[in-house]
Amino acid sequence: MNDMHGILFAYSAGSRLQQLVEHRTTSSLPFAGRYRLIDFMLSNMVNSGIPDIGVIMHENYQSLLDHLGSGKDWDLSRKHGGLKLLPPFAYTGNGRQGGYRGKLEALSGVYSYLEKIRQEYVVLANGDMAVNLPLEKVLKAHLDHCADITAVCTRRTRGTPAESTYFSLLPDGRITDTACGHYQEGSFESLDVYILSKSLLLNLVDYCSGHNQYSFEQDVMQRMRESLLLYGYEWDGYAARFQCIADYYTKSMELLDPRIRQELFCRDRNIRTRDYSNPSTYYGPDSSCQNSLISDGCLIEGRAENSILFRSVVIEPGATVTNCVLMQGTRVQSGAVMKYVIADKRVTVHSGRVLIGHETYPLAISKGSVI
Amino acid sequence: MKKECIAMLLAGGQGSRLYVLTKHMAKPAIPFGGKYRIIDFPLSNCVNSGIDTVGVLTQYRPLELNSYIGNGQSWDLDRISGGVHILPPYVREGSAGTWYKGTANAIYQNMDFIEQYNPEYVLILSGDHVYKMDYSEMLDAHKKQEAACTISVLEVPREEASRFGIMNVNEEDLIYEFEEKPKAPKSNLASMGIYIFTWSKLREYLIADEANARSKNDFGADVIPAMLGAGERMLAFRFSGYWKDVGTIESLWDANMDMLSRNTLNLLDQSWPIYARSPTRPPHYTGNEAIIHHSIITQGCEIEGTVENSVLFHSVTVETGAEVRYSILMPGVTVEAGAVVEYAIVAEGSRIGAGARVGAPPGDTAPEDWGVAVVGGGAVKPGRVIPPKVMVDRKGKEVVR
Repeated sequence: MNDMHGILFAYSAGSRLQQLVEHRTTSSLPFAGRYRLIDFMLSNMVNSGIPDIGVIMHENYQSLLDHLGSGKDWDLSRKHGGLKLLPPFAYTGNGRQGGYRGKLEALSGVYSYLEKIRQEYVVLANGDMAVNLPLEKVLKAHLDHCADITAVCTRRTRGTPAESTYFSLLPDGRITDTACGHYQEGSFESLDVYILSKSLLLNLVDYCSGHNQYSFEQDVMQRMRESLLLYGYEWDGYAARFQCIADYYTKSMELLDPRIRQELFCRDRNIRTRDYSNPSTYYGPDSSCQNSLISDGCLIEGRAENSILFRSVVIEPGATVTNCVLMQGTRVQSGAVMKYVIADKRVTVHSGRVLIGHETYPLAISKGSVI
Repeated sequence: MKKECIAMLLAGGQGSRLYVLTKHMAKPAIPFGGKYRIIDFPLSNCVNSGIDTVGVLTQYRPLELNSYIGNGQSWDLDRISGGVHILPPYVREGSAGTWYKGTANAIYQNMDFIEQYNPEYVLILSGDHVYKMDYSEMLDAHKKQEAACTISVLEVPREEASRFGIMNVNEEDLIYEFEEKPKAPKSNLASMGIYIFTWSKLREYLIADEANARSKNDFGADVIPAMLGAGERMLAFRFSGYWKDVGTIESLWDANMDMLSRNTLNLLDQSWPIYARSPTRPPHYTGNEAIIHHSIITQGCEIEGTVENSVLFHSVTVETGAEVRYSILMPGVTVEAGAVVEYAIVAEGSRIGAGARVGAPPGDTAPEDWGVAVVGGGAVKPGRVIPPKVMVDRKGKEVVR
């Protein structure tokens, strides 16, 4: 047991994901055929031996509540501790109209939860990143450095600079500067994963809420860089974040590369998700299916190529699906043609329809649409 | 807490006619249909029929089955009252308590378990059959007829009737005679090994049967004939769906192939879902060269070769140039490049070496020498040929049928 507690931030929805986050937060965005984004960090925490995890949410969280349930699919349904869902107004008077402005504000909203944390160290992470990260190694580095805060960062660029935080590191890993929304040559992009002690966390939340400061990046990592010992932990493995629809599409297609799948789904650190007991996928006599990732419960009688199919997708005989991401329950009727399309859950495409987007501008279709 | 009807599932069967496949597990734990084990069918039928209390009687090699069932969560059978309970044989004071001598004795030894729930009716199931059935309809018929025992029956072709236990019934479907594998069958109603008893009656007969030193303590051979002999009301309940005993290599292979045709046993039909416990693996991947026709593929598979008319369980790898036809590949099987697997059952974790050949189509062999080939686990060396009808165990040694 390594004495860590997990806090997941699941309150934000990337507005440039448009219709994909119409009914959900980015953390509950379906990804990789059967997962929600939050499954990755949740599984990382469980795989690193973290027994208690709190999930902070603010709005549009029905889909997330439904997905997480009691937490039993992550082995987090416990008498004491385990998974705790932290919606706004969970503690009297601490809700905020219009969403949390930053992590510190979100944390101060659940201050009495933080006080009851049983572990000595706390991992703060966003619920909207696809990564397979060994957090116990981050904790070890944190302890070896006697650091106040350890921040996970990478040299592999992942997203748009304007929406990312960058650290300047000394060769020994010490963070000398933090820049928000500005990339400098040689700096490391933050994965928004931090480890610090419970007592420091409580102090910081206390201090900052007293000073109307809400951004962990600006008000702690940047402003307190002289007074705190801040270290970076370099992660050179795969990590994906999702800021816009094109991002989502590109990251989905990257999964067709076996090396990426290997990094994300390595067997000894399994990514867990909600179990639906779907039957296996059935391929018809005239089906054809190349370079695709296909979930259980599908019925494939037509053609699929370079595509990601979620659970219970139906491709009727004579339908063609190329370079598409089709979420759970999409139904493509005979003769329909789809290229470069992202279909949200339960979209129906009638016979003979032709839907074509472009690699750089995939066509995204809202949940439940009938075309 | 009182329950109207509880189920007792006989899962102790050794399944010796499945040879290498049941060397390390009981028959009900045998994988079936890409995602399931045989026991998932009766367990899911119970849940879907509204029966939430199931005793699972185990005896032979229970480890796999016990860990599979766990607390019953996968079937929604983790209940505060009732739920699923594993019931192995146990020792009692003095010399009482033995291995289960027969199916009736297994229930007799667990009378205390049944009495806890004070049920009106007890449903007796076996863990050897693949079918979807609503037991509540059978229970309704049993109650309506005020029967002491209701036996589910299937109409089988006349010429095959002599392989089954046959029920001879009157115009009300009340049974007047039971014949085990009759030479000249009078009817074609075969027992499916599914019984509903009024518990107070069954209790009486179980106690009497146990006191009879000459009894084999078996439902079909002893208890049912005794009840008929005493003139109890015995009802035959006609079932018309798909039902298959998967007790032999051939029938296990057949049942998987039946499922592929989907008009017999449609597992994609979610109005009567079959639940299973399965590990979370990523979706399966089909490579650039993959050719997949008329097959069932499960999560975690990586397919680069050809798969036709086959059933693939989770985490199976079929490498480039490998060919799999009319075969069943259980979890974690790897078929290396250039290997050919045809008309075969390959057990969990086997590795078929590059260029090896397992099984062959029926046309290429004399009919008496042909059969489904079986790999019981372990590695098949590259280039090795395993002819049709041959079985090899985990060490690669041939096993005689």
